[in-house]
Amino acid sequence: MLKPLACALAVLAGAATAQERPVVATVNYPLAWMADRLGGDAIEVLFPVPDGRDPSFWRPGLSDIAAIQQADLIALNGAGFATWTTRASLPRSRLVDTSAKLSAAFIATQSVSHSHGEDGAHSHTGTASYTWLDFELAAGQAEALAAAMQRRMPDLRNRVEERLPSLLADLAALDTQARDALATLQGTTIIATHPRYQYFARAYGLDIAALEWEAGALPDEAQWQDLQDMVAETGASLLIWEAEPPQEAKERAAGMGLASIVFAPLATRPASGDFASVMRAQIEALATRP
Amino acid sequence: MNAFFLAFAHLRWTWARSLVLVIVGALILSVPLVTQVLLRGSEEALTRRAEATPLVLGARGSQLDLVMSAVYFSQDRAQPISRAAEDAVWDSGLALPIPLHTGFQTNGARIVGTSLDYVDFRGLRIAEGRQMALLGEAVLGAQVADRLGLGPGDTVVSSPENLFDLDGVYPLELQITGVLAPTGTPDDEAVFTDVKTTWIIAGIGHGHDDVVTPDDAGNVTANAAITQFQRITPDNIDSFHFHGPSGDYPLSAVLVAPYDTRSGTILRGRYLDPENPLQMTVPAEVVAGLVDRIFRIAALLDAVTLVIGIAALGAIGLSLFLAWSLRAPEIETARRLGAGRFMILRLAFAEIALLLIVSAGIATGLVTVVTMNGDRLVAWILAL
Repeated sequence: MLKPLACALAVLAGAATAQERPVVATVNYPLAWMADRLGGDAIEVLFPVPDGRDPSFWRPGLSDIAAIQQADLIALNGAGFATWTTRASLPRSRLVDTSAKLSAAFIATQSVSHSHGEDGAHSHTGTASYTWLDFELAAGQAEALAAAMQRRMPDLRNRVEERLPSLLADLAALDTQARDALATLQGTTIIATHPRYQYFARAYGLDIAALEWEAGALPDEAQWQDLQDMVAETGASLLIWEAEPPQEAKERAAGMGLASIVFAPLATRPASGDFASVMRAQIEALATRP
Repeated sequence: MNAFFLAFAHLRWTWARSLVLVIVGALILSVPLVTQVLLRGSEEALTRRAEATPLVLGARGSQLDLVMSAVYFSQDRAQPISRAAEDAVWDSGLALPIPLHTGFQTNGARIVGTSLDYVDFRGLRIAEGRQMALLGEAVLGAQVADRLGLGPGDTVVSSPENLFDLDGVYPLELQITGVLAPTGTPDDEAVFTDVKTTWIIAGIGHGHDDVVTPDDAGNVTANAAITQFQRITPDNIDSFHFHGPSGDYPLSAVLVAPYDTRSGTILRGRYLDPENPLQMTVPAEVVAGLVDRIFRIAALLDAVTLVIGIAALGAIGLSLFLAWSLRAPEIETARRLGAGRFMILRLAFAEIALLLIVSAGIATGLVTVVTMNGDRLVAWILAL
């Protein structure tokens, strides 16, 4: 009689403990990984973007927004990433724009000028948003996240302080690896299937031209023609895919003289491993390209 | 025969005169009490809310206008400030800034554009529906919902600031997602929405159909007849965008909640320079001055009420005396029938007692009703 009661109490106590853990909501996987590294099992990391969805353009449902509004800390990437955050009601006291202090390092993207009737012409300047692919910027984001966690969760101040150096060391190691391993690619043009790698290219001295292909989909004939033209123009011999492409696509690219490499920017959670391990493997694969 | 029975019969016979006397008596008794209830209620409400609002940042000018507009959502309009002022407080790390844009109305209620921090700051609770989540959504104060008979799923449309500002604002349909629990404060009389939604009403942000194809230079010119959306829906919300630097967007004021006393003092010091276009006010100090003034006026009001009361009592006494004079033949008949002087006096006092009892009863009812609805009445008066 007592045993089931004790078990039930233990389960309830566990549930209560789980509920009491502060929640850190994030808009992309790198921030979720950083929050997890900083808070460990003392926090709950909420990364509500479903598998297979692009967090940059994902639009949360009302229940997702309600869950995010309740979070103790809402970590934004900034630099225009996750545009839904500009159209949602989120409490400023719980927001942290992890790249706010890095805005001087932002890369502006092409903008379109337009006017409304008699109004003067104006434009919406875009910003490249995959900031974490420059691992120095990622370290800056980690520091901003750590500071916000310490401010919002005073109980975790010491824990975050203790764990931050390890996270920064991992990011510094990635930075060093990328600088050393990718040096051989400097001076050559690489083609990417999607414009995700602006910060990566600038940080590690790469010349990456980008197409606008959908991740993981088989390109149509017009897109193949665009690739053909770009190859002719740049002399590129390496094609970076954002996600694993169909085998047929890889073969056709090979037919154009392009070696295919999958280099996921990791905006979403990888199927296995974590940000650091997957990124290490990808940099290694890029450096030792066929 | 019972004197009260006879007095009541007479009062009923002369019902019009009795009614007037009862109403006048009830008013003489209740008006000073009602005034006191409302004044004390206003003082308490003003002071309580002011003390719950540590600091208000706004444009330099009338501190009273700024506090009344930011704290009580009154019609007083302080000059707008820019969002950069809010950012400066946030960047200081000394306090939490809560933006307020109170420039618009709907159905006679103030639209308060703010952030969800306001909800936490004031301890507001959703009684029905859900919290606002997206652009174009709004949550109603309890009184507004009750007055308009609206709830989750209904809509309200923002009104122009004035009749001569037909093209200055963007009439936007707001989707009501929830109703707040009553608080007995000006929050009950407000319609809350995200501050970004008020910027859309102000025309700083908008959503519209796709513009036409760019020309050779990469510029696109939209047709002047391009459709701007007046309602934000899941289908068009992605087209909504804002123009200009976000630091230039207007705010009516910023509520400032310092993290500690020292931070508050440092912040106040930063806005002391009279050349600074911004000022940081302490609502409790401003309201204390206002309450002092109100109570000086209230003392005068009490004196006036006393004089009017004495005059009214004199008028009532005179009317009773004249009534008894007119009833002289009737009293003479009663004497001949055997009624003594004492009996006549009993009759007179019974009439006066009945009139006083009914007047006091009505006055008590009036004071009770006002007392029971004091918070609502005070909130309504403060929002005027």
